[in-house]
Amino acid sequence: MSTETESSSQFDSFKERWRPRIERFRRGWDRFTEEKMGVLGIIIMVVFILWALFPDFFAPHSMEWRAYLGTEPGRLTAEQADSLPHPPAFGDPFWAPLGTNYLGQGILTLIVHAADDALYIGFAAGLLSSLVGVPLGLISGFYGNTWIDETIQRVVDVMYGLPFLPFLIVLVAIRGITTTNIILGIAVTSWLNNCIVIRGETLSLKERSYVESAKVAGASDTRIVFRHIMPNVLPLAFVFLAQDAAAAIIAQASLAYLGLADFTANSWGLMLQNIKSNGYVFDAWWWLIPPGVCIMLLAAAFYFIGFSMEDVTNPQEDN
Amino acid sequence: MTRISARYLGKRLVVSYLTLLVIMSLLFVLIRSMPGSFIGSMITPELGQEDIRRLRETWGLNEPIWRQYIDFMINYQTGQFGRSPTYKEPVWDIIIRRLPRTLVLFGGAFIVQFIVGPLVGMYLGWWRGTRKDKSIFTSSLAVYSMPAFWISWLFIWLFNYELEWLPSTYMFTKFAGFEWTTVNIITDVLRHIALPLFSIAFVSWVGAMLVMRPAMNNVTSEDYVFLAQAKGLSERTVMIKHAARNALIPVATQAIVGLAFLLDGSVIIENVFSWPGLGQVIVTSVLSRDYPVSQAAFFMLAVLIIVMRLLTDIAYTYLDPRIKFGGES
Repeated sequence: MSTETESSSQFDSFKERWRPRIERFRRGWDRFTEEKMGVLGIIIMVVFILWALFPDFFAPHSMEWRAYLGTEPGRLTAEQADSLPHPPAFGDPFWAPLGTNYLGQGILTLIVHAADDALYIGFAAGLLSSLVGVPLGLISGFYGNTWIDETIQRVVDVMYGLPFLPFLIVLVAIRGITTTNIILGIAVTSWLNNCIVIRGETLSLKERSYVESAKVAGASDTRIVFRHIMPNVLPLAFVFLAQDAAAAIIAQASLAYLGLADFTANSWGLMLQNIKSNGYVFDAWWWLIPPGVCIMLLAAAFYFIGFSMEDVTNPQEDN
Repeated sequence: MTRISARYLGKRLVVSYLTLLVIMSLLFVLIRSMPGSFIGSMITPELGQEDIRRLRETWGLNEPIWRQYIDFMINYQTGQFGRSPTYKEPVWDIIIRRLPRTLVLFGGAFIVQFIVGPLVGMYLGWWRGTRKDKSIFTSSLAVYSMPAFWISWLFIWLFNYELEWLPSTYMFTKFAGFEWTTVNIITDVLRHIALPLFSIAFVSWVGAMLVMRPAMNNVTSEDYVFLAQAKGLSERTVMIKHAARNALIPVATQAIVGLAFLLDGSVIIENVFSWPGLGQVIVTSVLSRDYPVSQAAFFMLAVLIIVMRLLTDIAYTYLDPRIKFGGES
């Protein structure tokens, strides 16, 4: 009995302490949902996340399924082999709503099963480049015009001198072509913008009076940077995280186009690369269009969410 | 009018040069640490151990690595890029032959995208928050999310396969039946350039728009815009003459830096359209471990980017007071 009241009072105090934050979040969320674009982005994102979590529920077949598998002769007849890649079929020879590729795999099945890969690339690359770019930008901005700032800015200069895609090709060639290495390569080349923008924001924030008062109150530099300045740049950091994620998804597809994709994994970029390498680009629209549309939708979802957040956090919207 | 002090300029130059040196060293390490070397593509079944050793000797790969590094640093800074082992000709010849082609294609696309992008951005920024702004902004972001090679395929499919209006590969018609007069050649190139140029511009104008829109939006709340409106000027005049001109400054910066990144986008598009430019060379030279060509390409890009950034900074220092005071007049 007593423990129950204790825990409930604990819960109350917890609620009490978190109320302002929840309140703030709710207000932000309300403003966010006013933007139709952001809501659209979230809907697309949720669909893809569901695909990634329950691929077997959304895909019509398992990954092992092949067209004509289990039909009479036991192996492909000449006519059957000739009909691959097969246009969308609704139960006549088999069930494949988006047709098949040259191996007889269902396109819809492949697309649904590749959603986790694309989400992984987007989120991992976006997070990694933010994790590098944001702290460096904070430090660089806070110690503006000292040797620390100078050093970080020179590193940024050097990285800026290396063109994005060719440099990525070299990195991937060195480290081997796996999804993780592609993500690392994208992160190494894309943290620059985060760093530059966050630095600029920090430079202006550190002149604010609350930073001054924190300094007078005896707060350490670390505390000022991470307790007082960082929460104010985080919305901006999220905007850039979303943009980086979108760029990473497109970059992965571009690398796959050049033949630099993990051929053991299944990804949308690799599906497009397979069309090209097997010469069906202009013969199999059901194979060409869906992966590209998926890449576009996922990247667009990241952009939608990012730019709506920019609108939400931009105080000039309140005019 | 503040002038740039010689001291500031000198410091910037030194720093830029040091940056270039660091980039070059990084390049040397990165390019050499890719597995394999261009010798691999020269080996035929007839060659024995001794021949391969001699090949490596000829191409200077048997020298100690520090020796190669010093040679690389000195030669590339003096513009001696050497011969390409896979193209079998001097690297300069490759660059000089291919650079104009890339510049024609991407320069054209660059002009188109920096006309269309800021124009659309101007309208969207001026009417920010309206229904029109939101729908156009959303759809342009969707366009921006398309992989370049995929949308190019769709365009080739439509304009080349279905409608048969435009050719989709190379720069000239191969085995052309027409007379080689200047007019014919120019129309031929224009026909070939249309599809790739359109494909590039179709996606990349959004980049310029994304910079113009917030800049324009910031300007709309400035006093001089209210003043212009209060004077009774038409909305069109205020938007174009008073607001847009001042919003163009960040776009101009973006454009200068973007010039240097032209080659970045060329890697994919030139591959799709078999455009015989530099972008293709970069990819093939990296994949075939052709050290001289890939080093030269990266080196020239690095020089270009560093020079562009230096010029932007200097231009900014000049422009800064004018922006502050000139805007209100």
